[in-house]
Amino acid sequence: MSRLGYGRVLLTGSTGFLGQAVLERLLADHPETEIVLLVRGRPGVSAAERLRRLLAKPVFGRWRNRVGEQRAEQVARDRISVIEADISRTVPELPAGLTSVIHCASVVSFDPPVDEAFRTNLAGTVNLYEGIRRSVAGDGGDGGDGGAGGAGGAGGAGSGHNAGPHLVHVSTAYVAGSRGGIVPEEPLDHTADWRTELDWALAARETVERDSRRPEVLDRARREALADHRKAGPQAVAAATEGRRRDMVTERLVEYGRARARSLGWPDVYTLTKALGERAAEEIADASPLSVVRPAIVESALRRPYPGWIDGFKMADPVILAYGRGMLRYLAAVPDGAIDIVPVDLVVSALLAVATAPPEPGRPAYYHVGSGARNPLTVQRLYELVRGYFEEHPLPDADGRGVIRVPDLDFLSGHRADRGLRTAERAMGVAERVLLSLPANDRTQDWQRGLHRQRTQLDVLRRYSDLYGAYVQAEVVYSDDNTLGLHRSLTKRERERSGFDTAVIDWPHYLQQVHCPGITASLRRIAGPRPAGGRPGAPALPERRDVAAVFDLEGTVVASNVVEGYLWLRLLDASPQEWPRALASLARSLPRYLLAERRDRGEFLRAFLDRYEGANEAELRALARERLAGTVLRRAWPQAVRRIRQHRAAGHRTVLLTGAIDLFVEPLHALFDEVVASQLRVVDGCCTGQLERPPLVGEARAAWLREWSRAESLDLAGSWAYGDHYSDRPVLEMVGHPVAVNPDGLLFRHAKQRRWSIERWEGDVLGLAATLAEAQAAEARP
Amino acid sequence: MSRPGLVLEVDERTPPVLVHEGEGFRLERFPLGTRVVYPPDPLPGIRDVEAAIRDALLNPLGSEPLPELLYPGMRLTIVFDDLSIPLPPMQAPDIRQRIIEQVLEMAAAKGIDDVELIAANSLHRRMTAAEIKHIVGERVFASFWPERLRNHDAEDPDDMMLLGRTKHGEHVEINRRAAESDLLVYVNVNLVAMSGGSKSVAVGLASYRSLRHHHNVDTLRHSRSFNDPEHSAMHHSYDRMHELLIKHVRVFTIETTMNNETFPAQFSFLNKREWEWSLRDQGAFLAAKGANELAPAKVRRRIWQGVRAPYRPTGVHAGATTEVHPHTLANIHRQQLTEVHGQSDVLLFGLPYICPYNVNSVMNPILVFSLGLGYYFNMYRGAPLVREGGVLIMYHPMPVEFHPVHHPSYIDFYEEVLAQTTDQATIESKFEEQYATDPWYIHLYRSSHAYHGVHPFYMWYWGAHAMEHLGDVICVGANRRAAARLGMRAASTLADALEMASDTVGHSPSISYLHSPPLTLADVR
Repeated sequence: MSRLGYGRVLLTGSTGFLGQAVLERLLADHPETEIVLLVRGRPGVSAAERLRRLLAKPVFGRWRNRVGEQRAEQVARDRISVIEADISRTVPELPAGLTSVIHCASVVSFDPPVDEAFRTNLAGTVNLYEGIRRSVAGDGGDGGDGGAGGAGGAGGAGSGHNAGPHLVHVSTAYVAGSRGGIVPEEPLDHTADWRTELDWALAARETVERDSRRPEVLDRARREALADHRKAGPQAVAAATEGRRRDMVTERLVEYGRARARSLGWPDVYTLTKALGERAAEEIADASPLSVVRPAIVESALRRPYPGWIDGFKMADPVILAYGRGMLRYLAAVPDGAIDIVPVDLVVSALLAVATAPPEPGRPAYYHVGSGARNPLTVQRLYELVRGYFEEHPLPDADGRGVIRVPDLDFLSGHRADRGLRTAERAMGVAERVLLSLPANDRTQDWQRGLHRQRTQLDVLRRYSDLYGAYVQAEVVYSDDNTLGLHRSLTKRERERSGFDTAVIDWPHYLQQVHCPGITASLRRIAGPRPAGGRPGAPALPERRDVAAVFDLEGTVVASNVVEGYLWLRLLDASPQEWPRALASLARSLPRYLLAERRDRGEFLRAFLDRYEGANEAELRALARERLAGTVLRRAWPQAVRRIRQHRAAGHRTVLLTGAIDLFVEPLHALFDEVVASQLRVVDGCCTGQLERPPLVGEARAAWLREWSRAESLDLAGSWAYGDHYSDRPVLEMVGHPVAVNPDGLLFRHAKQRRWSIERWEGDVLGLAATLAEAQAAEARP
Repeated sequence: MSRPGLVLEVDERTPPVLVHEGEGFRLERFPLGTRVVYPPDPLPGIRDVEAAIRDALLNPLGSEPLPELLYPGMRLTIVFDDLSIPLPPMQAPDIRQRIIEQVLEMAAAKGIDDVELIAANSLHRRMTAAEIKHIVGERVFASFWPERLRNHDAEDPDDMMLLGRTKHGEHVEINRRAAESDLLVYVNVNLVAMSGGSKSVAVGLASYRSLRHHHNVDTLRHSRSFNDPEHSAMHHSYDRMHELLIKHVRVFTIETTMNNETFPAQFSFLNKREWEWSLRDQGAFLAAKGANELAPAKVRRRIWQGVRAPYRPTGVHAGATTEVHPHTLANIHRQQLTEVHGQSDVLLFGLPYICPYNVNSVMNPILVFSLGLGYYFNMYRGAPLVREGGVLIMYHPMPVEFHPVHHPSYIDFYEEVLAQTTDQATIESKFEEQYATDPWYIHLYRSSHAYHGVHPFYMWYWGAHAMEHLGDVICVGANRRAAARLGMRAASTLADALEMASDTVGHSPSISYLHSPPLTLADVR
């Protein structure tokens, strides 16, 4: 029988990285132990369903294989019970008879908003232990025999006659804050009062929310949103304004947390709240045996459940991956500083060993689980090993142009790194603004792509510089005598199977054979070599009758815009001798059009359509039919035509949704099932220069699409939309497969952020001047 | 008497030889011993063309004089070759204009009202008004356009008529107006030995249903060459169809041949043999080459597409098609045939900027393929200039450029079909039907100026015989991606190409260079 025996263990944070590993070990190594999982309820998903999903994760794969699927289901049903409760907000109702509590739940971020950090790390801890105290008190005499016997400890309801379960409190080695030198395994030495800090932190949100609603602040947010999103329509602007306000609130709350942590001597709010959580645990759990386990940086598994297992990317991994992808050239770190990494399975072993060794109530035990004390890894050594790994196993380039060669890494002092970053960020901001104000073309799009890459790199740098400063610069050693003592108290067999002496870690082996392969596996799968032959191209479109493919006209299907359309009609109609006059007249109005276009596409269309006033409708149509058809087709992207036809072949409804007048659209009509275009208002055969109905632009098109798809019972989530301009955003957002075609700056940025497909359609379409010249030449040719 | 064709063996004293490469040309020094095959010098043109035409119409071969075939109240249709011949388009007045004007005068003299003119553009693109005007001339155009002068529309179900099937089961379906006429006068320009004769009506006015019987891989593999009608399965099919259709409609054919004065004065050096270039020719060459390379791509294209050939007629023959055509072929041979002894391991030629399907348009990679492996490779009689398993080295930059209005189905053929396979039989069985019946291509063929959806397939089949015969195809100066897509290899220089070819033909292969244009038909003995 395992040491935990027939006990009943409560586990929090079981969906997290450490929690999963603990659960797996409990299932695999402690067959008699009953497990209670405390999970946050999620609307619409039952507890059983959550458990089923949890047990489907890779960490349980080996165990499931070993016992067999059916047996695994059976074991899960028999041994695991799930309690839904949000301990960050309420004191949970807990079952009786708990023998141990392993509290793994914690915020995953280092820089969360202050109230979230306090709620999860501190309020959650307080509520959990409060709940345990109540359950123990309510138990009366019928339970509570699992913990270390004997009463003791002072004060607190429910204490005295009955000791509670053994509380195994998972903290972090970095609660030591900015202390240097050797950190002993003992209570933290600080005077911060957790109750006061908790109250202030929770109140901070209200203050910040109130501030964010001041008119000046809202006006500024709206101004900024307008500048960026005006073309996408008023709803997009409103959404962006509110998004900005929320972002401001979050940022501000993050600042609150960071500033408070630093003022008290902790690097960030994560470590501050973990430290205060320890203190709260010590105070509340005075009747229960309490063990505080402080792991260092927890990384992928050394051996169990299998070498290299990891769930998501942990602290050091994004840096390692950024480096492997050639995106990291500088790191704000001291090369000879220690980085205290410990594989997750050693932490789990330590935790479960601690769980079987409860101290006396009121006299908490402390354990550091890390490698720094006896098997230190310096930043320089880590760099060399990781570099060695990537030199031998480089990552494939995303564009399929071979493999990425890792660069030399420069270590910068925190100060220098920060200064450099700040300059770069300022330059980046300026460059972005300049680029967005330029008209979109191939060159600016190339620049923008480059800028986007640089921006990603810069963000990576900034994030890690902010985050890791404290973790890789502190020259500090966490002594692990208690932990080592516990390890040595195990039998030889136990030590072999689930020991946790970090001195056994062979860093080259761990980093190069276990960890790096583990974290790069998913990248290699995604970026694996493309099938040879043929271009990657678009994947085949699924055959469906209930979806649509919606196309914008100008810039998406045809390389042209309204101004050109007008020019065609006028110039094709005129003899070349009259061109200068037509051009001059247009040039005079051009500034007005451009201004209108900047403001609003609908306004632009209206300003523009004035020019058709007085035109004879029949003549205009005849002209468009005879002279424009070739020109429109000449300006259509071949890829656009092919894509439309592919959609049709797959049974999709093809829709052309444009503000342009229907004259221009006529030659393409045969490609579409549905054409929605503007119609010129005609009175007595003459155009009035107005439209029959308001032009469909921006959000009006989205509204039309919503109505139409409802009427036709089409599935928008399975549909496609193609657009080139930021004003197409509302339409693109409505469908499941948005495609930005030759996007303008704003749409490009938006598409990149939303991971929309971006396609570049090009072909032998002539420039405007050349098209006209060709049209004239064809007429004039002998 | 002009000088006959010539085979020059390159030795130390041979000057570099001119090679066409798309919208450009270069002088190349070929390996010693290379045989350069030149066409005969230009034949003298007919002095009085109008008189020659009148003479042909009044004294036809195997037919009554034209005026005797005309009578009041009859239905007369004049059909003429489209802009795919001659190449480059000829300087005005076009020979077809001169003939049509005389035919119309005779018809008017007989008081015929019901006259229509139809361009025999088959599945080619509709010509623009300006292009038709260039062929028929201002006067005819003004009187007949657009109601009684039009492009043939092979996809107009109301305007097509199935005349029957040949003894081989081939459908003969042609333009209804033409088929229902009392007399069909066909006005032809014969540039190569492939054209004219039975082909004129049977192909020029036909539909996809009819064309598929001879425009297919199997027939083309057995047309060796298609410039030698006697040995061309394709022409045998034309003949069967022609035989059937003249049972339904009386055809009066007028065929003409041109000499080979292909390039106008400023490019006259292109018509001459290099060692005979005068100082002025050399200057013109340098100036033209310099200017051509400096010019922006669009200007360069406009200049080349603006070239109008100063061709002069060498023969006008009229009457029954089968009687007329042998005279035409004889004239073509007089102008183009050069005797060559034996095949060689390597065949070289430079591809010019134009082929029948990119007049006023863009020469896309598929057209380059058909010009090289189709037209040029088949410029032989007897046996191919290159031995079986030998290597073809051609020159063309082969940019990936398409004219989206003229060649929409070519773009898709290039991106969708050739990306999967280059095998003709597979392409034919798997894709042809789909492209040929695609409503969008049909729509563009009928209402825009697009080649029919099936046309790129024909261009691909045109190379069927060459692809079976050749061991390797290398294109000097070609865009690598395009060449690979077409199943060829690209080389930067001739030296590299010969190095690449050495795997197939060894290090000292025998080489023939077909010096063309002006067009040269090799008579390989």
